Amino acid sequence: MLADDMACNARNKYPAQVFNNENHKLNLYGDNVEVDYHGYEVTVENFLRVLTGRHEAAVPRSKRLLSDEGSHILLYMTGHGGDEFLKFQDSEELQSHDLADAVKQMKEKHRFKELLIMVDTCQAATLFSQLHSPGVLAIGSSMKGENSYSHHLDSDVGVSVVDRFTFYTLAFFEKLNMYDNASLSSLFTSYNPTLLMSTTYYRTDLYQRKLEEVSVTNFFGSVMETIHTDSAYRTTHSRKTSETKMPLQESVKHDERRQLINSNVQDQTSDTKIEDKQCPFTRRWNAFQDKLEKIERIDSLVNYGFIIMFPLLLIIMFPLLLISTWLLPTFVS
Amino acid sequence: MSEISPEVPDNRQDAPSHVDPNSTRITKPGVKRLVLTLSVLFSLVLGFPFLWKSVEIYRSSLPFGEISEMESNPSLSFPCRFQAVFINFNSNPSPNHLQLSILDKITELTSNSSQCGACANDLALSVTVDSISSCTQTHPTDNSNYYRCGAISAVDFDFSNDDDDGVDELLESVLGVKNVYSVVVVNGGGEGIRAVVGKYRHAWIVGSVEEEEEESVLVSRVAEIFVKMFVNGGTENGLIHGEFMPVGADRRIVLSFNLLNAEPNDWVYDWDFQRVDETLLAPIIKVLGPIANISVESQVLYHTPKSSFSYWDEKWKSYIFSTKDLPFFVNSNEWHLDTSIAAGGRSKILQFVVYVPSAKECPLSLLLPTGEISKTNGFISPMWGGVVVWNPPGCLNSETNHPSRHTMSREDLQAVFEVFMGQFRQLFGLKSNNLYIGASGTYHLLPSGKGFTEWELDVLSRQFACFNLHSCATTLGSLSRLVQSLPRMIIMDEIGKLVQFSLEAAKLAQSNASLGDNESSAGQARSLAEDAFFHPSIMSISYYSFEHCFAIYSPFFLPVSMHVLLAALREWKRYKQEKAKYTAWKAKVKVES
Repeated sequence: MLADDMACNARNKYPAQVFNNENHKLNLYGDNVEVDYHGYEVTVENFLRVLTGRHEAAVPRSKRLLSDEGSHILLYMTGHGGDEFLKFQDSEELQSHDLADAVKQMKEKHRFKELLIMVDTCQAATLFSQLHSPGVLAIGSSMKGENSYSHHLDSDVGVSVVDRFTFYTLAFFEKLNMYDNASLSSLFTSYNPTLLMSTTYYRTDLYQRKLEEVSVTNFFGSVMETIHTDSAYRTTHSRKTSETKMPLQESVKHDERRQLINSNVQDQTSDTKIEDKQCPFTRRWNAFQDKLEKIERIDSLVNYGFIIMFPLLLIIMFPLLLISTWLLPTFVS
Repeated sequence: MSEISPEVPDNRQDAPSHVDPNSTRITKPGVKRLVLTLSVLFSLVLGFPFLWKSVEIYRSSLPFGEISEMESNPSLSFPCRFQAVFINFNSNPSPNHLQLSILDKITELTSNSSQCGACANDLALSVTVDSISSCTQTHPTDNSNYYRCGAISAVDFDFSNDDDDGVDELLESVLGVKNVYSVVVVNGGGEGIRAVVGKYRHAWIVGSVEEEEEESVLVSRVAEIFVKMFVNGGTENGLIHGEFMPVGADRRIVLSFNLLNAEPNDWVYDWDFQRVDETLLAPIIKVLGPIANISVESQVLYHTPKSSFSYWDEKWKSYIFSTKDLPFFVNSNEWHLDTSIAAGGRSKILQFVVYVPSAKECPLSLLLPTGEISKTNGFISPMWGGVVVWNPPGCLNSETNHPSRHTMSREDLQAVFEVFMGQFRQLFGLKSNNLYIGASGTYHLLPSGKGFTEWELDVLSRQFACFNLHSCATTLGSLSRLVQSLPRMIIMDEIGKLVQFSLEAAKLAQSNASLGDNESSAGQARSLAEDAFFHPSIMSISYYSFEHCFAIYSPFFLPVSMHVLLAALREWKRYKQEKAKYTAWKAKVKVES
């Protein structure tokens, strides 16, 4: 969910591009980034609907959280926040008890197995203070009473481009490759309070596993659990015999399909025939329309039209003018 | 304010004339104004209950008691009807004795399984011993469905060649009855014991048994077939992870078949999916109809590289990727698989992917931890789907400088779909190798052209029914807890109706299951319960708090009621004052007279 207040801001010198570093090397709004909720759709209500799954029936699959009992979910929230709230669109607030409620309902309905919440706002740790569902791990960039700061200012764009917590999280992941088995505890302990200018706080009381044993790919990297397929399911003779019987029926179906297609084509030809039998007026009108469509320099036509219009107007309006100003008053008065 | 009193007649004026208007009055005070204000106040007070009732939050009443009762006992118990037929045993063992020993073994095997409704309460076994000379049977309760003496004889089992399919068809024509599982034990044939489980609802064991002690071996094998195959479906602990069933909440599954060309500049492959859909998939979909409503989609994608890496291995003469790479194989950034328009928000989509590697990585083979190359070159991800890597033929030697279009050959497509069938079964928790190695021996399993044998379908539909009922119960329980914890949340009538229908369907499912009739009520119950739970009106932030109510109604009623109350109080005070004055004057008059 991106409120797009930066990417689509009229004052953004690089429209639809969001950088995380002043060297502008990486455009975070790249080609294969899919944003499901943009702009005005980012509301507290929609956020809670996504979490709990309570959508209207017509909402498409791309806007739903399609998780089940075995899913691991990463929830990353960043923006402005305060004591027990997070700000949405500068006008609404997400309260910590609403978030805790939504997570509790998700757990009741088995919508996740493990959930990692990362919050990067001022007083971030207060946002998950009311959680009490098992299987949830949460880390915030600052504690109650502390602010979270941005990392550096991009003087070209004119605003700070990334927050400190996010910057150091990205830096941690840039150092890893796919086969490294970094654990979550190494991620959580990599944050330096002096560099961040705030103290990160994480709560593990609701999470059963030890952080040293959990790999970061548990939540990051879209990694799937896989099982090898040992054998294919083969039948021996019966399949071949049934196959030879099938083609007869199959070919009938193909013929029917071909007939269907043919009938469509016939309809089209009959349509054109009908046209020839129309009255001359409609024929001319259709021809006129066809000609119009063929005109390429349409704007020159429009200009000609304007030029022609004035004298035409004068010719038509003149008698009317005459009547209204000279003749009518004499009749009336 | 004093009233204008009428002229007092003169004969009264010889009384003391200092009528102090502040402390006495001569006439009775009027009650009109008091009555007026009190009546307004009274009508306001009378209207208050009506106001209270009208701002009451509408909550449709949910049957909390029934829900908690269902939640504590969401179980289905299915009846088990077995029969065992022993043919050509010249030692003539007693059927009752056999029945007891088989039943013992069965209860021993089912005691430590936690499958739902696995013959817990309702188990009936009938044993027949049929030989040329005599035929004895135990007496089951209803005789009609069971074996008739003499229907099968040892000559039907041609021991020289293993024509399992023929024997299967023969037994089906004799024994084919719904809901009864049979094992036929035949004494004869070569050495050793061979056990085969057919495609329908029966199995047979062929062996030469001479001594009595081998009888116990046969008994344990018969019991193992009954419990491990027909009840548990050939799996150890049911499904892959115990509770996951790949069916959507609206009982729909969408199978999405995708052909991925990793590098179209090397070659482009297409497939004749229409054929496959008609010949291979249609019977499977038909057969699974009672369990789930399946629809099929297919697409061909281009420029879909994988995100893991592979290395060239000289020994296998191919590029190798190992099982450690499997979790990273599916590249969710580039593979746009979930683009189905037919699938609704709550259907389950299973993705089946055929990956055609690029020329730089062809042929691509999967190396197992045991050091062997995988025969299927495929893997699944539970609840997501399966992937098969298919190497274009002759890719190692071909020179491809220009992109070429090919279509996958029929044989290749057939082979790939056999792997898909294996993966589909694996997603449901069923194994696909045709051999089951049990505690008492090995069993051959005959594969079915429809993808699932009938006894496997029975197992699946029982497990689905159990899962659906369990899910329905937990959903309704969560809903009732949620509703009770938010006393000011509006609950619409629709939700109440959905809950009621769901409970009815669940009860119907429970009663039908115990009769042995397995249909789709449990699925319906779950689907209705999920509709109720996921109703979009249950949003906790929009419930009607007390502050909200107060803030709306107080501007209307507070000022008015304040004025009326004050007016009534003032009139009452004034009345009392005037009344006191009047009584004082009356007393004075009495004293003076």
